[in-house]
Amino acid sequence: MKPINNKIEGKSGGNSELSRRKRKSGLVRENMELYAIMLPTLILIFIFCYIPIYGLLIAFQDYSPGMPFLSFSGNIKWVGLKHFTRFITGPFFNRIMWNTILLSFYNLLFGFWLPIIFALLLNEVRSLRFKKFTQTASYLPYFISAVVVAGMVLSFVRTDGLANNIVAALGGTRKAFNTDPKAFPAIYTITNVWKSFGFNSILYLSAITAIDPTLYESAYLDGATRFQSMWHITLPSIKPTIAIMLIMAVGSLLASNTDLILLLYSPATYPTADVIGTYVYRLGIQGGQFSYTTAIGLLASVINFIMVFAANKASDKIAGYSLW
Amino acid sequence: MSIKRKFGAGDVVIYLVMLFVCFITLYPMYYVFILSISDPVAAAGMKVYFWPKGLYFRAYSVLATDGRMWRAYGYTIFYVISNTVLVILTSITCAYPLTSKKLVGRKFVVAFLLIPMYFGGGLIPSFLLISKLGLYNTVWALIIPSCFNIWYIILTRTFFAGIPESLRESARIDGANNFSILARIYVPLSKPILAVVGIYTIVNVWNSWFPSMVYQPDTAIQPLQMYLRRVLIEQTVDLTKLTQAEAEAMARLKLSNNQLKYSMIIFTTLPVIFTYPFFQKYFVKGVMLGSLKG
Repeated sequence: MKPINNKIEGKSGGNSELSRRKRKSGLVRENMELYAIMLPTLILIFIFCYIPIYGLLIAFQDYSPGMPFLSFSGNIKWVGLKHFTRFITGPFFNRIMWNTILLSFYNLLFGFWLPIIFALLLNEVRSLRFKKFTQTASYLPYFISAVVVAGMVLSFVRTDGLANNIVAALGGTRKAFNTDPKAFPAIYTITNVWKSFGFNSILYLSAITAIDPTLYESAYLDGATRFQSMWHITLPSIKPTIAIMLIMAVGSLLASNTDLILLLYSPATYPTADVIGTYVYRLGIQGGQFSYTTAIGLLASVINFIMVFAANKASDKIAGYSLW
Repeated sequence: MSIKRKFGAGDVVIYLVMLFVCFITLYPMYYVFILSISDPVAAAGMKVYFWPKGLYFRAYSVLATDGRMWRAYGYTIFYVISNTVLVILTSITCAYPLTSKKLVGRKFVVAFLLIPMYFGGGLIPSFLLISKLGLYNTVWALIIPSCFNIWYIILTRTFFAGIPESLRESARIDGANNFSILARIYVPLSKPILAVVGIYTIVNVWNSWFPSMVYQPDTAIQPLQMYLRRVLIEQTVDLTKLTQAEAEAMARLKLSNNQLKYSMIIFTTLPVIFTYPFFQKYFVKGVMLGSLKG
């Protein structure tokens, strides 16, 4: 290690003009070092996060591969909002928007409360070992890959699969649920909730452990039942966490789990399974309609952005909690 | 004092609910496992519920001969290692300068990091960019665009902010420059956060398949999850035809395609099942660190 600018602090006595200049050059040197350290990452972020944002311009053009996103030589065909109107007036608009919102809504309806209830109940388990075991078990689905989960689910819902065996044992008739559009929302919601409820409970569990235990003790002395202290102490204490999770959930209402849907759906189930993400993938990546699908993606993310903003405002007004 | 209630009806209900939770989270995997090692005849009828019928490991020895699976396994390990090393490197190097009070324009850099967390170009512009950069259909498409994660940079920065400023100052007086302060003081002190970032990256890359589906049409360089997708979802790979000799043997053994698939699931998920109880604490830590800043 070579000494570089360590003498600045040490000798401030002598020539003050010289030391000020030295301090200034020390600051420049310091900043050069710091920027040199982070520059490679900043360049990567610029390329892979900012250039695609700039690439959104093709939503307003008739873009074909090989063309630049923006040039002044006049070979770009600007088309304004053509792609947006084409999507909104198109035959699939209603179906796709409806599916996207409905699947997210089911997910919110069933997936949002389960982690909270699970965390509340798990907190009441007295045996530490059983508590730990249940917690670990509940995380397992989160760590299994979506491909494996979807593969398992699809094999269970086939006519000779586990789910149908149960249906048959209960006296029902076997059905090919994997190609039944009516069954898709249920299959998707159950799979999604199963995969994530344990992991989503972590945040609530950690909020619960932060509650002051003396609150419970005084409630107990006052004769509160366990359910009462759960309702009047635990739940209000984790209200801020619940509010923030709800804001984020509402904000992502248009961003359904495209990954999982792509794995679970099939042309037979498109009527109830096709969402914005899957439609963009099929027409954009597989079909090459770049401008059209970019416009759809942009529309979805703008609506999303507005919804997070609105949900945040509403939560701030009603409950007094907000993200920013 | 501590609260001592009697073990009452409420406890019974809670324990029953928790047992049910354990059952629904563990049973599907267990079912796949017992079916994969059951006698082929029982497995073909899918009439195995609570314990394996017979004991048959032939499906696994057949799978072990699947060259495509091993190749995909190898690529997955390559992607996991290179991504993990690079993500840790970019997280450290981008987080460290942000903790310095002397950094000019710190606010701009932080804003530069935060904007992409709320707004992005989306799938198609990213796809066009990857194609233009010549990464399309190469192994680099799964490495370079994913070699940083802004969320992890912010987590690391939060952790770094807890390291006392005086440590850095005294190192400066001893003549150390920023590179050596980072390498010799900050990195050794930040093993806990690096473990969190590293393990998150390992699990995410191990389980990821979508980027490969978009950027890598060439099946020869695809990771394991893409191979699994062809076997389990698209069903374009018929495991009963692994090799000619094996096919005849399998016809004799009546090993069904379904049992082979289940064996494949166990074969490729076992590393995760056996290791996640040990590294789950890092995930819990990551969630908690994130919530502090979020």
